[in-house]
Amino acid sequence: MEFFERFAIPHPSPLIYASMVAIGLTMIAIVVGITYFKKWGYLWREWLTTVDHKRIGMMYIISALLMLFRGGADAVMMRLQTAVPDNTFLDAQHYNEVFTTHGVVMIIFMAMAFIIGMMNFVVPLQIGARDVAFPRLNAISFWLYFAGAMLFNISFVIGGSPDAGWTNYFPLAGTEFSETVGVNYYMWALQISGIGTLMTGINFIVTILKMRAPGMTLMKMPMFTWSALITNVIIVFAFPVLTIALLMGTLDRQFGTHFFASTNGGMDMLWANLFWVWGHPEVYILILPAFGIYSEVISTFSQRNLYGYKSMVGSMVLISFMSFLVWVHHFFTMGHGPLVNGIFSITTMAIAVPTGIKIFNWLLTMWKGKIRFTVPMLYSVGFIPLFTIGGVTGVMLAIASADYQYHNTMFLVAHFHNVIIPGVVFAMLAGLTYWWPKMFGFMLNERIGKWGFWFLTVGFCLAFFPMYITGLDGQARRMYTYSEETGFGPLNMLSFFGAGLMAIAFILIVYNVYYSFRYAPRNVGQDPWNARSLEWATPNPVPHYNFSVTPVVNSSEAFWDSKKNGHQLFKDKIDKIHMPNNSGLPIIIAGLFFVFGFSFVFGIWVGVIAAAIGIFGCMAYRTFEKDHGHYIPVEEIQETEMKLEVRNNENR
Amino acid sequence: MKIDNTGPLEYSTNQNQMNILGFWIFLGAEIMLFGTLFASYFTLENGVGSGPSGAEVFEITPVLLETIILLTSSFTIGLATHAMRINHKKATLVFLGITLLLGLSFLSVEIYEFIHYYHVGLTLQTSAFSAILLTTLGTHGAHVTFGLFWGLFIFLQIKKRGFTPETTNKSFIFSLYWHFLDVVWIFIFSFIYLKGMM
Amino acid sequence: MKELFPVKQVMGYIFSLVLTAVALSVYFLDMSFEVGLTILLVTAFIQAALQLVFFMHAGESTDKKAIYTNVYYGIAIALVTVFGTLLTLIWGYM
Repeated sequence: MEFFERFAIPHPSPLIYASMVAIGLTMIAIVVGITYFKKWGYLWREWLTTVDHKRIGMMYIISALLMLFRGGADAVMMRLQTAVPDNTFLDAQHYNEVFTTHGVVMIIFMAMAFIIGMMNFVVPLQIGARDVAFPRLNAISFWLYFAGAMLFNISFVIGGSPDAGWTNYFPLAGTEFSETVGVNYYMWALQISGIGTLMTGINFIVTILKMRAPGMTLMKMPMFTWSALITNVIIVFAFPVLTIALLMGTLDRQFGTHFFASTNGGMDMLWANLFWVWGHPEVYILILPAFGIYSEVISTFSQRNLYGYKSMVGSMVLISFMSFLVWVHHFFTMGHGPLVNGIFSITTMAIAVPTGIKIFNWLLTMWKGKIRFTVPMLYSVGFIPLFTIGGVTGVMLAIASADYQYHNTMFLVAHFHNVIIPGVVFAMLAGLTYWWPKMFGFMLNERIGKWGFWFLTVGFCLAFFPMYITGLDGQARRMYTYSEETGFGPLNMLSFFGAGLMAIAFILIVYNVYYSFRYAPRNVGQDPWNARSLEWATPNPVPHYNFSVTPVVNSSEAFWDSKKNGHQLFKDKIDKIHMPNNSGLPIIIAGLFFVFGFSFVFGIWVGVIAAAIGIFGCMAYRTFEKDHGHYIPVEEIQETEMKLEVRNNENR
Repeated sequence: MKIDNTGPLEYSTNQNQMNILGFWIFLGAEIMLFGTLFASYFTLENGVGSGPSGAEVFEITPVLLETIILLTSSFTIGLATHAMRINHKKATLVFLGITLLLGLSFLSVEIYEFIHYYHVGLTLQTSAFSAILLTTLGTHGAHVTFGLFWGLFIFLQIKKRGFTPETTNKSFIFSLYWHFLDVVWIFIFSFIYLKGMM
Repeated sequence: MKELFPVKQVMGYIFSLVLTAVALSVYFLDMSFEVGLTILLVTAFIQAALQLVFFMHAGESTDKKAIYTNVYYGIAIALVTVFGTLLTLIWGYM
């Protein structure tokens, strides 16, 4: 019996049992549904084994949206719990688990997946390539991310969720204070998806460096591609740190080592240190692609070229390096001397400078532009003032001596949500709306989209601005309740109300997808926004080989030049096209990683060994495999192009 | 696939060039991986608790043996790449084989070393120092072990398929990997062992 | 037989053995910690550079610039991490 007790939930509640039933029923419904409609073959051939960057990108984005709702549900539960003083909706342990999973899901499984999904879909199209450098590795990256995400998400019904915060500080995360398997889940879910992310990083650097269309020098790349390049550079150098930290954490928890213990020479601060050596660059991994999206959107809808292209690039390069120099500002209060705090205080303030430069560039791009307030543009315009408030409070936090007051209060919570929500979430919604017609061939409804924007923005302000005040008044973060005498009650109620508005906004966004899918016209043409960069030169829907003829580029706005300045994009004749083959190996290897992770979490060593043998077996199989891809003959391309031509003409 | 015959075979296709560049970037990530281990090692170096310190357990003979073996194997894998470029299949296989045998003997000495540590009372659980020492050495050792299998598979492929754009590309990338492990060892040798025994 | 042993590689090998011998002096000779550490730093980084240039052919392809940038960037950030960690957790800890 003891063996099975580990799989039980440490603190069962009706909520969790209800979700267990819901998960079970959903799984059964999905399996039955696919079987009933006989879609297994289609699913396997077209999606599960695909190496097409566009489809992988869409799968990332769909997963990210699912995770957004998972993390959003956590957020609403937290706001509900703290809406009134001495609330008993969640107990302390459950609250701990909820804020931990909220953080991890939102950062690792929502935001990361969203940006990587966007990069997958857009970057090859923007540089005129037919796929990424290593298409199969790309599929492995996605499936490893997915395996990690699933592993993390089953934790709350099998064995218990991690409860030591998304930062997972030791000794709290050690076995002494976190007795359940929750933190083991954290270690392995992040480890598995982290490996996938690292491979994405390598893949996209090589793609961007080696597969650009002729004529596209580095300084003629569209800004989103530049931001993707810099982001991936940061990924490659930051993620190995997390790998090692997680390895050490696993050893501490499951093999009794003393890395982060306070006995036998261990040092608990080392975890915080390593975590933030990865964690701070991670912040910029999230925000830089968002900056790239805003650059594209603002330039398109101001109908002007991007102001200060070179300074944009320069500031991103600077950020990529400086993002590795500021990590200590996350733990100013943990006992280093004034020298250390002074150094990292200054580097932190300095990194605000390149970010500030970018804000001015966007403002100057809009200056005298013919602005069209579409949904993507609304998000971008909303982003600028809100993000600036987040940035300014960030500089406040960077003052080490003042940080002793702000640290671990709701002020900090308000600050980082103030940069991440207008920074990343707005960007993802802007990008999703902007590239939606390229992905699915129809546009999202503007009116519902605008309602969504206003609900989200107002809800955001109401949810998070009160936290600045309660934080300065001393309300600590991560506390599941507070007494009435503190006086935090009314402002927390306001926060809850704001969170409710945000939830309505997300429901509106989903409703918009449904509504537009049913009613939106399909005659959008290839360039519905009158856009500027190369991805809009492809027909709708984008054929799986992207470009029938490799485009020739003369500037960072090659498509705009072809429309307005008579630049000829496609000069060559159609030739046969080499494409990679689909493969089932990525999903199999990720499935084995899932088994490996799950077994490791519970210390089922037979499963660990079997899965490890399977993983290495897959790799051995891969090295002996002969796979040269395939060619699409000229006739087939001409036929496809003809069909797309007819379709696009009919539509116009 | 377009094949360009002006340079070495391992660079002859576009995909090959991307593979090599991609692997270099992976090595950049590996620099950071071992950099993190070193950062942790230097931090925890004096955290010996009630266990023995480095100066008490390190022995020069096995360490020196490991260093010379690994340096030599780095030399022979370089010779294998050279032989491959002058299209000398047999020599390539011989050098690759010697490299793998040297790798195996490196591992044997390392395992002997670990057993020695166990006997003098230094295990993974002894102290923070012992944990980070064995984790750093173990991560390097795991890389070598992985490399042995990888190298063996490439050996078999060259033997069976001869020099093709794929096999030469793989064996060149393998040589990068092997040289890199040697570089890491140099740092382990200098800043863990020699610094510890100084 | 001779064409199998190019001078460059043999010299590189011999040089790496010599560097190892120099590094070993910190063990066999009596010297201060600072001098010893300096010797180790110099020999280790020369060894690494040797491998990079002589054996790994880092500069032979058209992606030379990307490869060197990548390596230097990695080394720079690894050094920042090592020394930053030491500064934070050992030297600057009160």
